[in-house]
Amino acid sequence: MFAYYLRLATKSIRRNPYLSLLMMLAIALGIGACMTTITVNYIMSSNPIPHKSDDLYYVQLDSWDPYSPFREPNEPPDQLTWRDATNLMEAKRAHRQTAMATSGAVVEPADQDINPFMASLRLNFSDFFPMFDTPFLYGSGWGSEDDNDPAYVVVISKDVNDRVFGGENSVGRTLTVAGKPFRVVGVLDTWIVVPRFYDVTTNAFQDTADIFMPFYMKRELELPNSGNTNCWKSPEGEGFTAFLQSECINFQMWVELPSDGERAAYLDFMNSYVEQQKALGRFERPLNNRLSDVMTWLENQQVVADDAQIMLWVALLFLLVCILNTIGLLLSKFSQRSSDVALRRAIGASRSAIFAQYLTETALIGVAGGIAGLGLTLLGLEGIKLLYGDFVSNLVALDIPLVIAAILLSVLASMLAGCYPAWRATLIAPASQLKTQ
Amino acid sequence: MLSMTNLSKVFRTELVETHALRDFSLHVDEGEFVSVTGPSGSGKTTFLNIAGLLETYTSGDYTLDGQNVFTLNDRQRSRLRNEKIGFIFQSFNLIPDLNLYDNVDVPLRYRGMTAGDRHQRICDSLEQVGLANRMKHLPAQLSGGQQQRVAIARALAGDPRFLLADEPTGNLDSQMAASVMGLLQDINQQGTTIVMVTHDPELARQTQRNVYVKDGRVCDEAAPVQLATVNE
Amino acid sequence: MTHNWETGPILRAMSRNKVGALLIALQIAITMTIIINAIFIIVERSALMGRESGVDEANTFYLTSTGFGSAFNASSVIDEDLRRLRGTPGVVDAVQINAIPISGGGWSMSLKTETGADIDGIGTANYFVDEHGVDALDLQVIAGENFTASDVRLRGRNQSDWPPVAMITRALAENLFPDTNYADVVGKTVYIGNDEPVTVTGIIDKLQAPWIGWDRLEHAMLTPEKMDFSSTRYLIRTEPGQRDRLMAEVETALADAYPNRIIRDVDTLTATRERSYRRHSAMITILTAVMVLLCTITALGIVGLTSFNVSRRRKQIGTRRALGATKPAIIRYFMLENLMICTLGIVLGSALTVGLNMALVQWFNQTALDWFYIPAGIGVLILIGQLAVLGPALRAAQTPPALATRTV
Repeated sequence: MFAYYLRLATKSIRRNPYLSLLMMLAIALGIGACMTTITVNYIMSSNPIPHKSDDLYYVQLDSWDPYSPFREPNEPPDQLTWRDATNLMEAKRAHRQTAMATSGAVVEPADQDINPFMASLRLNFSDFFPMFDTPFLYGSGWGSEDDNDPAYVVVISKDVNDRVFGGENSVGRTLTVAGKPFRVVGVLDTWIVVPRFYDVTTNAFQDTADIFMPFYMKRELELPNSGNTNCWKSPEGEGFTAFLQSECINFQMWVELPSDGERAAYLDFMNSYVEQQKALGRFERPLNNRLSDVMTWLENQQVVADDAQIMLWVALLFLLVCILNTIGLLLSKFSQRSSDVALRRAIGASRSAIFAQYLTETALIGVAGGIAGLGLTLLGLEGIKLLYGDFVSNLVALDIPLVIAAILLSVLASMLAGCYPAWRATLIAPASQLKTQ
Repeated sequence: MLSMTNLSKVFRTELVETHALRDFSLHVDEGEFVSVTGPSGSGKTTFLNIAGLLETYTSGDYTLDGQNVFTLNDRQRSRLRNEKIGFIFQSFNLIPDLNLYDNVDVPLRYRGMTAGDRHQRICDSLEQVGLANRMKHLPAQLSGGQQQRVAIARALAGDPRFLLADEPTGNLDSQMAASVMGLLQDINQQGTTIVMVTHDPELARQTQRNVYVKDGRVCDEAAPVQLATVNE
Repeated sequence: MTHNWETGPILRAMSRNKVGALLIALQIAITMTIIINAIFIIVERSALMGRESGVDEANTFYLTSTGFGSAFNASSVIDEDLRRLRGTPGVVDAVQINAIPISGGGWSMSLKTETGADIDGIGTANYFVDEHGVDALDLQVIAGENFTASDVRLRGRNQSDWPPVAMITRALAENLFPDTNYADVVGKTVYIGNDEPVTVTGIIDKLQAPWIGWDRLEHAMLTPEKMDFSSTRYLIRTEPGQRDRLMAEVETALADAYPNRIIRDVDTLTATRERSYRRHSAMITILTAVMVLLCTITALGIVGLTSFNVSRRRKQIGTRRALGATKPAIIRYFMLENLMICTLGIVLGSALTVGLNMALVQWFNQTALDWFYIPAGIGVLILIGQLAVLGPALRAAQTPPALATRTV
């Protein structure tokens, strides 16, 4: 029976080619617009580390200006001071923990033929690598013994390894960074985390760092600040040490707390730490410390851009217009065929048979529109790449679930559009149209 | 009232020339009730279309109420139709989405009358066909005979000099047909010229004069015998 | 012939066919909602993009020089670089600077007119330049004096105090001293970073901060400093038409002059503007495309539905023609019918438009719609509807009146 309906549907579509094309186009455009924006939003808001996003917590302490919050209404600062980051690290109260900072330095390859270049640095503790499941191509991270009295060791990205060492296993070799010789202990494989959840204080859709080195190298080499540095009061005194002792925030910290008990205990620890600091005359604001798991933190930092959400809503309304459009066109189309329905009913077709026949036709249009819509989605994503530049290229890839979603959405949309007209068609009484009008 | 002299109408396609009317001549005087009969394909409908200014003709002369219509443009023809001619169609041609009142209103709107004037005429003409109490009904809610009465009311509302009826009883049973015919005769007696196209000789006999058309020509023109059964 | 607008009969006929009319009205309502809000966002973003940085953007480029190795003497390399740059034919002027306007990265501080921790400060961007800054950035000193070479001091890498004099933009002067004419701000003392006094010695016409999304974008402060940093930026202003040639030449010349450094991030201000405003220009492009597509879809929908109505009503149209309707009267009928459906759509659409705008204000920090966008949107929608219906209406008018006598 379905085959028969399918044949009737193709016939009917061929009978009104322009109209059918218009309906397909409407659905394709609606689906294309929706899927493009859904893809962007989906990837922006996707969970970058699903298996342990509930165990990783971002640490916030409210060390800000007693007279005004860091952000309205009463948000604690999004980063830590050097003093607090190092104090919390030394306490070692979590299962795993890492404070972090970003910086930049010149890399001088030993090979004279390779030009020196500027590399982005991430300063972190040894726990960083197991906490965030970084994929290693060669070697591994450094040991915790290299953290506190920082050893001259680095983990380098695949790109840097390709550039400096021609892609060979460079573990154990020496790399000059910021004028000092470092020993390579590990080479990362391609590591794409979208969003780059572990540091969203700068662009959350940027690539990971070129070089990772122990956190205390910041002090050892007086490395410059990258990312955002915010101060609510000027450092007291001059020089690098004054900055490190100041109330300026430039450091991030993550802890791994696999159980609720550990989480509660860590929050208690943070609060007692702040109370202790209050006694020293710091932290004049009311207690306002926070532990946020990965998804909560991403939401708090509004990683999904407002513009992307506005576009999503616009696209959904767009799809609605396309569906309304299709309903209107189908109604007209079906109303023209009322004599056909009356005849079929007269010779024994049941209402549900008529309904199925007409719904098959709309579903066919929907599938065609959906396939065209997928093409338009790819086009739309290319357009987004073109408009926003390369930094979003990680954002705009279709995966299998999205393709299936697109087809389903379009069939659903067209069936939704087809239901009412098909139902109306079933209301035509048999033989009502058999007389001439 | 209506005067056609040597009128001909030729339909041309790439392959054939069809003469729908040839040397067609007919004169209808003011106040006459004339029937036009003939077999199908004889040119009855073409005559009706030309007489009603719905179609143009190829050659000859046609004067309606003293006016030669050949040179009129579309707008002038529309206006003439609207003001001088009332149409009654075989399938009534009521507008299904409009109620009776609005249906009768259609030609009056095109005449550009004031609302009050229109209202008066609509009520009067619906009164005349005996359907004043059903103004708000839709055509589908009426019987065929009633629908044709509405169509007659619509034709009368514009107060035409000349009524063109195309098989007015073709879709009606005999009882309804008789009442519609009676109505037409009433109208004729009030002074309106009527030309009725029909294939039914019985009906033709109820008119003052019958014109028999065959192969696009007037073959026989005679006053039909008045039958005793005429509904007065 | 007088015109009789058949609004009443059309309305009554439409009420017999509510769904079709309602579908178009809804489409028009949503289209209107999207279009008005989209145009509003586009106009707002265009206004943002139209703001001038104050710099001679078309003829300016900049680069970063990062020295390395223990032998690198930043101070002398900078002096030599600046001498070389300023001596290059085609260069109007060049300056060492800590941050590039509208580039997204820079320094900011808080200024106060009185000392005290509990007094709110006013934020400003900080640019460190020498006496060539005014020329290189294409600024005008509209009150007071430009820096002299003797004002310029050496700033070390971790030095956090400030020189005693500064120039500020007119906008900053007027916000710091709202009751004073900007010219009279010259000679006044402001406090930077809480309590460090700085005397204003000059007012400049206009210079934007590095962050285009900042509400203090027009606030900038220039201090006379030479930065003793191993990694530093130069901003170079060229004569018209010389920029692209000089970019390549300067990059090679500087790299050759001192091998132990990296010349990087060589870029024009035009490209910087493009990058900084990319989010906005992308939004404008996308919304424009959505609007065009939406209007097309809605218009095609109207064309399609009207065409169907016309073919469904052919007999009726023929009858109307027979009853005396002129061709223009038939066209008018369909136009009027569409106008009435549009009106319903517009009433719905106006409510939806305001609703969507309120949602955008509530959740996405957009601004509230100006009232005149609604009548403008109504005009556009009516125009679209009327244009869309014109084709089918013209075809309807071609229906021969003889159709009335044809039995189906």
